[in-house]
Amino acid sequence: MLVKALTAVITVAAGIGAAFVLYWILNWISEHIPGDWGRRIQPYLFILPALAAIVVYTVYPAVLTVINSFKDNFSRHWIGLANYRALFGSDAFRSTLFNTLLWILIVPAACIIMGLTVAVLADRLGPRGEKTTKTIIFLPMAVSLVGAATVWRFIYDAEPKGSTQIGLLNAIGSIFHKGPVAWLDTSTFRLNSLLLMVILLWAQVGFSMVLLSAAIKSVPTDTIEAARIDGASERQIFARVVVPQIRGTIVTIFITVTITVMKIFDVVYVTTGGAFNTDVLGNQFWTQISTYFNYGAASAIVVIFMIAVIPVMWYQVKHFQTEEAT
Amino acid sequence: MRSQARRVTLLGAALLVGAGLTVTACSSGGGGGGSGSTTVTIWSSVDPPVKAGLEKQLVAELGAQKSNIKINWQTVTNINQLIITKIQAGNTPDIAYIPQPGVVAQMVNLGAAKPLNSVVDMSSLQQNMVPGMLQAGTINGKLYGLLGSANVKGLVWYNKPAWTAAGWQTPTSIPALTTLMSQMKAKGSATAPWCLGVNSTGSPGWPATDWFETLMMRDYGPTVYNDWIAHKVKFVSPQVENVASQFSQIAFTPGNVYGGRTAIPTNGFDTAGNGLFTTPTPKCWMYMQGSFITGFFPASVQKSLDTSVGVFYFPPATEGGQKPVEGGGDMITMLNDTPNVETVVKLLAQPQIGNDAAPTSSFISPFKNFNASLYPNNTTRSVASIMYSADDFLFDASDAMPAQVGAGSFWSQMVAWIGNQVSINQALANIDQSWPATSS
Repeated sequence: MLVKALTAVITVAAGIGAAFVLYWILNWISEHIPGDWGRRIQPYLFILPALAAIVVYTVYPAVLTVINSFKDNFSRHWIGLANYRALFGSDAFRSTLFNTLLWILIVPAACIIMGLTVAVLADRLGPRGEKTTKTIIFLPMAVSLVGAATVWRFIYDAEPKGSTQIGLLNAIGSIFHKGPVAWLDTSTFRLNSLLLMVILLWAQVGFSMVLLSAAIKSVPTDTIEAARIDGASERQIFARVVVPQIRGTIVTIFITVTITVMKIFDVVYVTTGGAFNTDVLGNQFWTQISTYFNYGAASAIVVIFMIAVIPVMWYQVKHFQTEEAT
Repeated sequence: MRSQARRVTLLGAALLVGAGLTVTACSSGGGGGGSGSTTVTIWSSVDPPVKAGLEKQLVAELGAQKSNIKINWQTVTNINQLIITKIQAGNTPDIAYIPQPGVVAQMVNLGAAKPLNSVVDMSSLQQNMVPGMLQAGTINGKLYGLLGSANVKGLVWYNKPAWTAAGWQTPTSIPALTTLMSQMKAKGSATAPWCLGVNSTGSPGWPATDWFETLMMRDYGPTVYNDWIAHKVKFVSPQVENVASQFSQIAFTPGNVYGGRTAIPTNGFDTAGNGLFTTPTPKCWMYMQGSFITGFFPASVQKSLDTSVGVFYFPPATEGGQKPVEGGGDMITMLNDTPNVETVVKLLAQPQIGNDAAPTSSFISPFKNFNASLYPNNTTRSVASIMYSADDFLFDASDAMPAQVGAGSFWSQMVAWIGNQVSINQALANIDQSWPATSS
């Protein structure tokens, strides 16, 4: 125990010391280069360590992944577009893409609508009521998605007809003598995927609600009163006055939740493992790399994912820049 | 003044860096084992009690030989995945216990596993192991994976007191089993002939593949079974279609399975068997599962295993027909070919290595000449003797097929078919389509 503590202290000290020495050396170099050059390249020299770390740990692996998507399962031989052809040619993968698309279309929109609803309604309660409601809605954020998925798996659980139902939904159903429904196995109209989305919404609405509540409260009251004087109804005030002024927050939440949803893995892995037509890109990537040891296919999935994320990221950066400007 | 302060700071920084470098050098020097090292590292994912028993015996035998070899045996989670990653990182153990022949084939493909033919006594192994055990780990004619522990599948479990009270006899052929099922249904609908569940967290469907494999090997024998694994017999074939029709007769006929066909995809493999023991009336008479299912029975049953539970071999296709047994187990693979590692492998390949693990854990030895009195109860002894007296030991097909099929489409298509989402012909075609074009 003491040895480990001592090693930790020495490691931290050594790390700090090494960084100190590194920058001292870079400074020394820039000071001793003749003429004006020293001062000009000094900022670039100082950025160099951080830039090097980013290139080595982020850019290089990304480039390698793209290259690997054109190689075979152990990245030994070039096979061109075979991985992409195999993926897009398989029914299972197309179903996975469709599921991911469903998630992307439904969850961010639902998250914002639910967050807005709670924020607006909680606003009308008294201060204590508002605080309690918001705390309760926000609590699920403290649970990891794996924990949330495990809990909800018990809510959706189904036992054979005749046994005691331990799943909440089926237990309530059995009070009304409605036979047990295997919720997570039912993929008609993608019911089980919708039920899995409920899990993510349950965990994420708190985030959306908190940001939207702050945004709503920051809308200047004179704009609302002016609208009221002009004879607008409550609904018109909300839609025409409040919402346009909180547009920035809505977009931020939309983008954040979209990126979370595109990556979703733990919810699906813990509940159904991707079976019964619930598979999503994140889970399929895991299966390819960990069960099938097919690094080529896994890299191809990541490349597809990277391409899909680029528009979202571009929009986020543009949005961030416009926000900065105002 | 300033330059003084600067010199002190510089000195301090240099000392820190020096300390850091020494620490790194020391830790890497101590940790790594070189090629002439006397420490042999073993990795396995087996149950901790099994590992503890095997390790204890191994260390004792090395001590008796006055050997200076040290054993470093680690339990790792998900060794299938870990070993492939570590092989590519160049950071492997000396010996690894691998539970899937498909993964052993991957290791050979990557050039990481070394042949065992000259290390172990092949003729003695052929004599003392059930036929088929060595073939499971033989790739391109050389032995790369030697079965170190075994588990048995294709076993039918029953509630011993209820069974004897009802007067049922162990069926000795599949037609006799069918007759027994009708007799059970005639007795009353409160207790169905079978409990069946194919659900499993994260990997639903594998119990259905066990049913297919059990029926396949009894109906058609080891050669067709191995051809099926090698994709020479496709899933869309008269043999597999016949097996599918047999399974649907057993599982889908109303009244045969507790809960009916709709409950099968939802019933967990771990809890479905508890239907054997419900009081006052059991929900079912028979449950087919592997030898490890005893660990999932209710606690009261586990405490009195020999008196509460009976087990018989899923009958052969015809009276007196061939009796292959389906099983699995962890295979010893050797990744470093040094004299010390070879010594350890030789010891692990002996029957006595299980002497300590057998009484204290769920360990079953793959050797026919293992001292069976060491098993902790009669149930384990019956299971082991079913395996030893079988004509052939055939490894679980879904563990031997490529992972995209064996751990992928075979499972998921079974679930889809049982859940009535896809026809059997479509399911079999889908599985064939998913077979990797070139397993490079």
